[in-house]
Amino acid sequence: MRMRELTYSAAIREGLAQAMDLSEKVIVLGQLVDSKAGVFGTTSGLVDVFGTNRVQDFPVAEGLMTSSAIGAALAGMRPVLVHQRLDFMLYSLDAIGNWLSLWRFKSNGLSDVPVTIRAVVGKGWGQGPQHSKSLHAWFTHLPGLRVAMPSTAQDAKGLLLESIFGEVPSIIVEDRSLFSMTDHVPEKPYRVKFGEACVRCTGVDVTVVAIGGLVPASIRAAKTLGFESVSVEVVDPRTLTPLDIDTILNSVRKTRRLLVVDPGWRSAGVSAELISSVCERLGTDLACNPKRVCLPDSHTPMSYSLEKEYYPDEKTIVNAVLSMLQVSVGDT
Amino acid sequence: MQEITHSELLKVGGRYDALSLDGLTENDVRSLYGFMLRLRMCEEQLQEEYHPADEMRCPVHFCIGQEAVPAALSLILCSSDYLFSHHRSHGYFLAKCGEMKTLFAELYGRSTGANGGIAGSQDISMHTAKFYSGAILAGAVAIATGAAMGIQLQGSDSVVAVGFGEGAGDEGVFWEAVSFAALRQMPVIFICENNRYATFSEHLKRQSRDNISLKAEAFGVMSSTVFGNDVAAVYRALRAAHSHAKCGGGPVLVQTYTYRSCSHVGPEDDSWIGYRPKPELEYWKTNCPIKLLEEKMITNGMLNQTRKSELVRQSDAEIQEAFKYAKSSPLPSEVNWSWLNANPSSPLADVLLGAIDVTSFDEGQEDTLPAPY
Repeated sequence: MRMRELTYSAAIREGLAQAMDLSEKVIVLGQLVDSKAGVFGTTSGLVDVFGTNRVQDFPVAEGLMTSSAIGAALAGMRPVLVHQRLDFMLYSLDAIGNWLSLWRFKSNGLSDVPVTIRAVVGKGWGQGPQHSKSLHAWFTHLPGLRVAMPSTAQDAKGLLLESIFGEVPSIIVEDRSLFSMTDHVPEKPYRVKFGEACVRCTGVDVTVVAIGGLVPASIRAAKTLGFESVSVEVVDPRTLTPLDIDTILNSVRKTRRLLVVDPGWRSAGVSAELISSVCERLGTDLACNPKRVCLPDSHTPMSYSLEKEYYPDEKTIVNAVLSMLQVSVGDT
Repeated sequence: MQEITHSELLKVGGRYDALSLDGLTENDVRSLYGFMLRLRMCEEQLQEEYHPADEMRCPVHFCIGQEAVPAALSLILCSSDYLFSHHRSHGYFLAKCGEMKTLFAELYGRSTGANGGIAGSQDISMHTAKFYSGAILAGAVAIATGAAMGIQLQGSDSVVAVGFGEGAGDEGVFWEAVSFAALRQMPVIFICENNRYATFSEHLKRQSRDNISLKAEAFGVMSSTVFGNDVAAVYRALRAAHSHAKCGGGPVLVQTYTYRSCSHVGPEDDSWIGYRPKPELEYWKTNCPIKLLEEKMITNGMLNQTRKSELVRQSDAEIQEAFKYAKSSPLPSEVNWSWLNANPSSPLADVLLGAIDVTSFDEGQEDTLPAPY
């Protein structure tokens, strides 16, 4: 049977609508979530079905929005927050770092606040330094949160539903470059569990751990390299907290080579965490030094010529893989 | 609105003589007095025990002098109401949760504490009693507003009360919360215990006006100001606020001008810093909330020495019992960090969501450049 296809943004919209159908406790808060544009189509029309109480155009006060979600969750609601750009969410860092992430902890496990935060990361068309930051590493660093980086429409819906109906506050980082992609998306409300990585393609020469918006480029790179008889395994962790390190380790045990492709800045980021987590267990078994493809340690430029230079793409990944193999060939 | 500010009060000075028991039953008065006396004794004995035993190893912000608001709340709030507190939490805890021994055990870091010794004095909570606190200024105010939103959305007639100091008014999110509560006419009572100092910093060093009520009015929040050591006035104001919010009248702010007669944190005397003038300390000592009510009660024949001794004996017994309980309780050990930080179970997702084959995806999909903006 041919599977139904939906775009990434339509899958999110369907997930939200189904969650609101399944439980009256689910509410959506965010700037302009009730507008026709519907945050890149992800909330379009929801207000017509569920009303302005449940689909709330929230004041431009991100700190309050996150705090309100915590309070509403205490009163039994399951709020979903929507940030058109992750950058604006930084006003709510106190709410996230001092309250949301440690709420359960300081209650001694007696009180949970199931809040889901959707944060869209802008990319391209000159978004520049205040519209394009992917700060997944910041949130991954905080205990008490779950962090998801869905790379397919299927995962976007499943992880969203899993967040909404789970008990742990979750941050879902959505890369804008993925919004028009289509994938098999089952119609029923389904779950994609946190902490379960997906092997996007299998291979034996190099393990590429690809995150969020750079998963599609990594899959394409794997295909290109396949024509050169280089066999690449692409592992998509799907979620950074909790992290399915076992699937990554199993892959690296097989390939003995690790490349991490992370749409975040290079220094002190998720790529460093993944490489050290692997090296702690398998360091001496590796055939060559692990490598990473990340954004440079720089804020995002506006001009499209510089954007091209700034963002890694399929070619960057192919070259990184080839350089690793050359090194390892020389070693053996 | 009555014009009361710290500087106005000091200008008038002397003994406050306007305490009236109008609108209070004899039972109300006795309960308010009993609560304040018990809280004062509790705090004083905790101070005495704090050093040199050093068994309470957490920052403790005592509330000596600020007993009136918690006492009033203990009479007003129902079990379905929510209470959020600032870091000076003991009075609020006792007002909503009652049990002194779980408070003491928490301060002692014991597993029998309200939060198993994880939270301590400034982060203590009791979910079953709908009581929460926290140390970061104004954060709890914003969360309280969200709880009010949740209540409102569910059509319940519960009320949220949140206490904070005037220092919270320095924070932006505080005004976001006030504005939002007014916009949505939420059932929330903002209670400003204006004790003039954020730690050692005087109100007018930080804000251009020292009357939070006037500012809240500008946001459309019904506000009142009372002399915060007149517990009867505090009670009347909070009771009116509670009925107003409960009946869908929207948010209310009650500002009480009061004073912390103890140090900011810990039992040590912090007067060496020299942040509070002597006449000011004297004024507030003269106008201790317990003393003011006590004298009124004696005049009205509601209290005599025998009755007072009996109350002191009762509270003392409760306090000794709480110390005994805390000291004899086990310390926590072998914590499951992962479980403590993130609930591993998701019962609702288990019921509502189906499974799919999560390994099959469309391998032909192409990513696309986003459209402009």
